[in-house]
Amino acid sequence: MHNKASLALGVVVMLVSAWGVISAWGWPAKAALFPLVICVPLFFLAGAEVLWSLFGAAAHSASDFKLSDHLPQSVALRRTAVAVAWILGFFFGILLLGFLLAVPVFVLAYLRIQGKRGWVFSAVFTAVVWSCFFGLFDLLLHLPFPPGWIPSLFGVR
Amino acid sequence: MIESALAGLLLVLQWKALAFMGLGILLGFWVGLLPGLGGVTTLALMLPFIYAMKPHEAMAFLLGMHSVVATTGDITSVLFGIPGESTTAAIILDGHSMAKKGEAGRALGAALSSSLLGALVGAAALALAIPVVRPLVLAFGSPELFMLAIVGLAFIASLSGQGARGMVRGFIAGGLGLLLATVGQDPQAGVARFTFGTLYLWQGLDIVAVLVGLFAVPEILDLVVRGSSIAGDTRVGQVRKGVLEGVKDTFQHFGLAIRCSLIGTFIGITPGLGGPVAQWMAYGHAVQSARTPEERKGFGRGDVRGVIGPGAASNSKEGGSLIPTIAFGVPGSASMAVILGGFFLMGLVPGPDMLTKNLPITYSMVWTIVLANIITVIACLIFLNRLASLTNVPGELLVPVILVLIFIGAYTANNQYGDLVVMLLCGGIGWLMVVAGWPRAPFVLGLVLGKIAENYLYISVARYHASWLARPIVLVLFAIAVVVICYPIWQARRTRRRGHA
Repeated sequence: MHNKASLALGVVVMLVSAWGVISAWGWPAKAALFPLVICVPLFFLAGAEVLWSLFGAAAHSASDFKLSDHLPQSVALRRTAVAVAWILGFFFGILLLGFLLAVPVFVLAYLRIQGKRGWVFSAVFTAVVWSCFFGLFDLLLHLPFPPGWIPSLFGVR
Repeated sequence: MIESALAGLLLVLQWKALAFMGLGILLGFWVGLLPGLGGVTTLALMLPFIYAMKPHEAMAFLLGMHSVVATTGDITSVLFGIPGESTTAAIILDGHSMAKKGEAGRALGAALSSSLLGALVGAAALALAIPVVRPLVLAFGSPELFMLAIVGLAFIASLSGQGARGMVRGFIAGGLGLLLATVGQDPQAGVARFTFGTLYLWQGLDIVAVLVGLFAVPEILDLVVRGSSIAGDTRVGQVRKGVLEGVKDTFQHFGLAIRCSLIGTFIGITPGLGGPVAQWMAYGHAVQSARTPEERKGFGRGDVRGVIGPGAASNSKEGGSLIPTIAFGVPGSASMAVILGGFFLMGLVPGPDMLTKNLPITYSMVWTIVLANIITVIACLIFLNRLASLTNVPGELLVPVILVLIFIGAYTANNQYGDLVVMLLCGGIGWLMVVAGWPRAPFVLGLVLGKIAENYLYISVARYHASWLARPIVLVLFAIAVVVICYPIWQARRTRRRGHA
């Protein structure tokens, strides 16, 4: 997993830096210099990492936090996929419904489906979260939250 | 000067000024805790309210609010792994790791006490520097600022993993951050770089959206995977313990806390480097303080020095950044630019007047920073047990709340949906980096310093051609950068030699 992820990341960085060089090639020298100075060594460093991942031994991890490893890999991957689905679901919920509607819908759905909490607890918890969000960001600070695509279709502003 | 300092203290201790400072502290406390609210935005929102105040009351209100934001921002970073402010991200690496090990109380104790120490150092620097700051700030032109950015980038070497491959990964991460810093309209030729034809990317990537994605998303994914609370199986009582131990840790590593405070103050004094740089450079220095590779391995996994260093730097830079704002009207950061706006609203003109006629008001600012931080830290220490207990709240209750906060946090940076996309993409990159064992700190350093380095390099070349390379401060900073890069290599060699012997 460790080496595979490093290989994937190395390949992505190689592709990105190659694309950076190609893009910068057509720019005036002043605009292109800095991206080129970064992308060229980045391409070769990423290439070295790819070779290391393919043929070298496992490396020391960096001084950074580690993901939990007490669960079987298949379970961890499945749960990660579920979490990603919730995050993306919330994102598309915001686009479709706007923040003001997406927040309560998401919190309620998460507590009911993922948290397996009862209706009463979920409804009260959602109401508290939504009240804090609405009271602070909308009523108090007047932050502009667009209504989302679906309410916009019905003329809600 | 002593009379002015006393007069400044008396100004702050007037009941109205104290009340406004209390109100500012209360606002700053929540602004720092909530990732959705930036200190700069709130300062700007509060500007219209200062019209009716006297200058020292207005400054007590604004500075009281501003000087506690970083302190309470550290609390969110430690407890939830979400940067409460863009300037409090570095503390996540070790602070949140400690919280996950059930040491939230100790991490918060260390973060708060080091923050207070940093604030006091920053305020002392402000008080002492007022008469002598002019030559220091004027000595730093664009070449020196460029070299300072290079010194910051040199810390990538310390923040990378061990061995040649660890170093390569660190430099790739740093390079990736530098590359992302070039996104947007190029200031020299006006070319839109890597913008995919969208107007949104012309202004570059927003640091808040990037940091929230990079740090918070992997933490949330891990929290869902574990299916438990942040502190896991650690009992509630145990999580609350250790606050005093954290305070003791700060005093045990007093030298480190002072050095990191000075780094923060210096970054604050230097206009144009920005707040996040201070914490990351301090974190790099804290990692450098490890004497052996084994000790260094502990960083990122809950070493208290990784909390003390950034904690001290994030608050000391506030006093530092007030120095050029007061002395020259040159704001050292975005929040200082808003405070400068407050100066003008109050009829205060930065410059010689602030150091002569209005010296008591200047000193009242020093006292405000000191008092606001003492009050905040005492208030936090009282509620720390309850705050630390949040790490025992079941994950299924925390995850939706944290997700709402990080989406709002990313969105309110510019009120654009594009920031949500950036946050999600950076979340994916952050998760992949964690899985692959790549360091994220060099990535942030590259992103934060990339634009600064490019701009000052071009100005230096345009203004001085090649002669800027021979300026004395540039040479000194270059030597420091070389030492910073070579130190971890020399350290690794020394350890290997000792191992063979």
